[in-house]
Amino acid sequence: MRKLKIKKTQVIASVLIVIAALICGGVGLYGLSARSSEKGNEILSNMRLQAILDTAGTGAVDAYVAAAKAEATARVREEGGGMTEIREATAKAEEEALALAEAEGIGSVDLTEIDTVPLADALNVLADAQKAYFEEEAAAQAIYIEEHEDEVVADTVDDAAADAADASAEGSADGADLGGDDAGADMELEEETVDLSGFEATEEMLALSAGVDQAYEGLCVEIKKVFPALTDDILTALKPTITNTVAQQGDTFEKQYDRALSMSGMNPGMNGTIMRQGKTLATSAVGLVILALVVLFYVPLVAKTGVPRLIIGLFYVLLCLLAFIFNLSLPGQISNTLVRLGMNGVLVLAMLPGIQCGISLNLGLPLGIIGGLIGGLLCIEFGFSGWFGFFFAVIIGMVIAAGTGFLYGLLLNRLKGSEMSVTTYVGFSIVSLMCIAWLVLPFKSKIMKWPMGNGLRTTIGLQTTYRHLLNDFLAFKVLGITIPTGLLLFLALCCFLVWLFMRSKTGIAMSAAGANPRFAAATGINVDKMRIIGTMLSTMLGAVGIVVYGQSYGFMQLYQAPRQMGFLAASAILIGGASTSRARISHVIIGTFLFQGVLTLGMPVANALVPQSTISETLRILISNGIILYALTKSGGASRG
Amino acid sequence: MDKNKLREAARNNIVTIMFIILCAVCMIFSGYTPSYVLYELFGRLSRNMFIVLSLIIPIIAGMGINFALPIGAMAAQISCLLVLEWGVPGIAGFALAVLLTIPFGTLFGWLIGKLLNKMKGQEMIGSMIIAFFATGLYQLLFLFIFDNIIPINNPDLTIKGSKGIANTMDLSKAGGIASALDGLWRLPFHQAVLVFAAVIAVILLVGYVKSHKKNPKKLGIQIGVLAVAAVVAQTGPVKELFSMVNVPMVTFGCVAVLCLFNVVIMRTKLGQQFRAVGQNRTVANAAGINVNHVRIVAIVFSTVLAGWGQLIFVQNMGAFQTYGAHEQVGLYAGAAILVGGASVIRATNTQALIGCILFHLMFILAPAAGKNLFGDAAIGEYFRVFICYGVIAVALVMHAWSENARKKKASVQ
Repeated sequence: MRKLKIKKTQVIASVLIVIAALICGGVGLYGLSARSSEKGNEILSNMRLQAILDTAGTGAVDAYVAAAKAEATARVREEGGGMTEIREATAKAEEEALALAEAEGIGSVDLTEIDTVPLADALNVLADAQKAYFEEEAAAQAIYIEEHEDEVVADTVDDAAADAADASAEGSADGADLGGDDAGADMELEEETVDLSGFEATEEMLALSAGVDQAYEGLCVEIKKVFPALTDDILTALKPTITNTVAQQGDTFEKQYDRALSMSGMNPGMNGTIMRQGKTLATSAVGLVILALVVLFYVPLVAKTGVPRLIIGLFYVLLCLLAFIFNLSLPGQISNTLVRLGMNGVLVLAMLPGIQCGISLNLGLPLGIIGGLIGGLLCIEFGFSGWFGFFFAVIIGMVIAAGTGFLYGLLLNRLKGSEMSVTTYVGFSIVSLMCIAWLVLPFKSKIMKWPMGNGLRTTIGLQTTYRHLLNDFLAFKVLGITIPTGLLLFLALCCFLVWLFMRSKTGIAMSAAGANPRFAAATGINVDKMRIIGTMLSTMLGAVGIVVYGQSYGFMQLYQAPRQMGFLAASAILIGGASTSRARISHVIIGTFLFQGVLTLGMPVANALVPQSTISETLRILISNGIILYALTKSGGASRG
Repeated sequence: MDKNKLREAARNNIVTIMFIILCAVCMIFSGYTPSYVLYELFGRLSRNMFIVLSLIIPIIAGMGINFALPIGAMAAQISCLLVLEWGVPGIAGFALAVLLTIPFGTLFGWLIGKLLNKMKGQEMIGSMIIAFFATGLYQLLFLFIFDNIIPINNPDLTIKGSKGIANTMDLSKAGGIASALDGLWRLPFHQAVLVFAAVIAVILLVGYVKSHKKNPKKLGIQIGVLAVAAVVAQTGPVKELFSMVNVPMVTFGCVAVLCLFNVVIMRTKLGQQFRAVGQNRTVANAAGINVNHVRIVAIVFSTVLAGWGQLIFVQNMGAFQTYGAHEQVGLYAGAAILVGGASVIRATNTQALIGCILFHLMFILAPAAGKNLFGDAAIGEYFRVFICYGVIAVALVMHAWSENARKKKASVQ
């Protein structure tokens, strides 16, 4: 074994990083522990108190001014003045009252001067009551969402239909710009949200809500002691403001702290800031330790994984840490990633036979995808559903894809050396040809056709056929993570079959033909035939892949949607470590997981960083095309001649 | 013998011939009047020809169709944004944008060239992916760097209520550069023909006087053709046909200058190097040419020219989609030049011009023809998209085919 060589600069750099990590971690852990300590509690509760008293104080001044105004009005009226006099008098009274309130400090109070203990106690009672209420509400809503999950689908389909109808009205405009690359945007997995308007409070919630009211009254009594001018009416009006200051649904320590800070305008001091950033600092420490390790073992790591995979892997770790800092629900994100792994896995797997048999990246994957789409359409047309429908779609798709794949393979055999550019454009032109076909094919089913006009919809709902069939098969929850067992099993089955095939006599011959065509031909392998087999297999897997993708996504996407899928699958397998001439099953799994993981985590993290940005879409374009570029530059041709 | 030659010519120009037939069929079924079609066509030609011509140099240098043209367009759009931000109006603004495009285009072209040198033999797919990748960087630049890190003070340019550059850039407002070039000098068609005929005649005469091999017969024929064209344009029916056409003289002048440039540069040493590298990299390298350098220069030329072409395009349109205007540039230009009979290794000005005319003719006619034939305009739309990709696919297939046949023959010998 080669001895591990580590340069001095590397050691120094990593030691420095580790020191930084230790400082970060130490301070962060101190901050985290301070949160539960008495001192920490005091800071937060003081800020909260100040915020509430400020609110109440404003109310008190208002009450004082209103009283002064009323008095002035009454006085003028007694003297028999008209409207103008009344107005003048009230304005004057308001001014005076405000000045007086300022001078006497009616609206402001210094925390050090009053006895805060009963106030703080009342506040804590309120906070606890609210916390209990919100927990109950969240639980009840979760149950409600689970019960009403099916309705969501129906809603979205209606929406989609409405959108699609609009789109067809503007059809000419859409067609004019060729749809561009916005196919990618369509492919983003949209978060399904349940409409909560039908949600009604449960009995437990009502009981807890009563508890909150009681606690608030207790607080009011204490506040009145500080501001005698406050009336009950004003306190009732202030209730939403105050309760919102104290706690909100889905609150975290950081959010509470930020809110209290901004409402009170207090200077939190060093301790407070450390407490607030405790989690961030501790998480950064973990990140820094990982960075130090990478710096230290840079050379062997790069040798083992390659630069792009290392970068993307680190990026994924960074996203995970950021997600933790921003308190995004990690189990939810991991479930999403798993679903996406399963739904894209087969499509990525379709790249493997293509690469192995020597046609390089099969960017003409849309050919196979169209076969699968036709399978799905026929399944809807004949009204099949459930497992039978799913396998019907898969088998029909495979049969069609086998035919197109065979012809495609024949074509590719005559174009050795320039497959990629040709396949891309062949794929693109077939996709646009099929756009015409979707418009004119004589399908009858109402699910698929536009309500008005000709042709099929752009997105077709699959809830009547095989939506989420694999996803829900034997699905279970562990630690809040939903495992789509059926989906993962299906992917594993496909991988296993391809693995078996690659170990068979034909498979080995195919790999040989791809790796070194001349040598293979010399040993009596029919290279052209092997290339055709590989292409067919790749195309057929593409057909299976899109059916799996559709069942997971819940919709079939026609028209321009399949165009970019070849690129996405290619970039996934390349991220996994494949080259344009060599690929393994592990590359498929790792690549899909990393790519989809970065995409799933990227969106919420980007939204937390820059609200409502499309940066995750930009990220997808950069990663997906960057990795293909990298692979192309590595595929040779760097010679001068 | 003659028959064989004819067949050979037909085989070499099969795409062009098919396209002429297609356009004729579309013309019959579209129901448009010829003068309307000509009006539309001249509008499209004036804004698209320049970009198509920018493809020629990389093709001659053996790098295939430069699908990274969108990056040149991005350079132009960045310049456009800056000019709008500084509020330089009219032709001065346009000239400034042209100047700004040079450094941007050179930088981008140099980077593209560097990358393409690492993937020789895969330039076309490579340049396509580079363009996709650059689209991401462009989004990053326009959404997150401009207006965030680099302040933009013109409120018309930014998204209202958020950060980043707005979706549409309107050049026709005060201080914009809409029609800056087109509006300089417009002439009705018959007068425009006279002007161009006169200019071409002068150029031919100068060339005749300067050239060593004097060929008066050829010159006579050329001048005669010009004279006939000029006279025909003045006749009643032709005038009627082109009645709606109002030729933007300076724009077409720019196209003519670029054509001339493409011819002249091939006579220089650099042009000879382009050709040598395009024919055979190994031989060129052995002859002492720095192949990588020549290839980078070719791409830089193409990128800057494409940028200027995009500037002509946007000033003609008067507005553009900030995040979409560049995307299809490479596809359209590539398809157009192939329609004209160019291949991935050979291209001339004439092919580019003919291709541009045919391609845009089809673009104008297909939706209407589709509507009249099938009762659905969308079919025509999708059909022309299919044609775009299909033409490129067919050209690539035929090239790869003949290349492989040639290799096989060579290996047999």
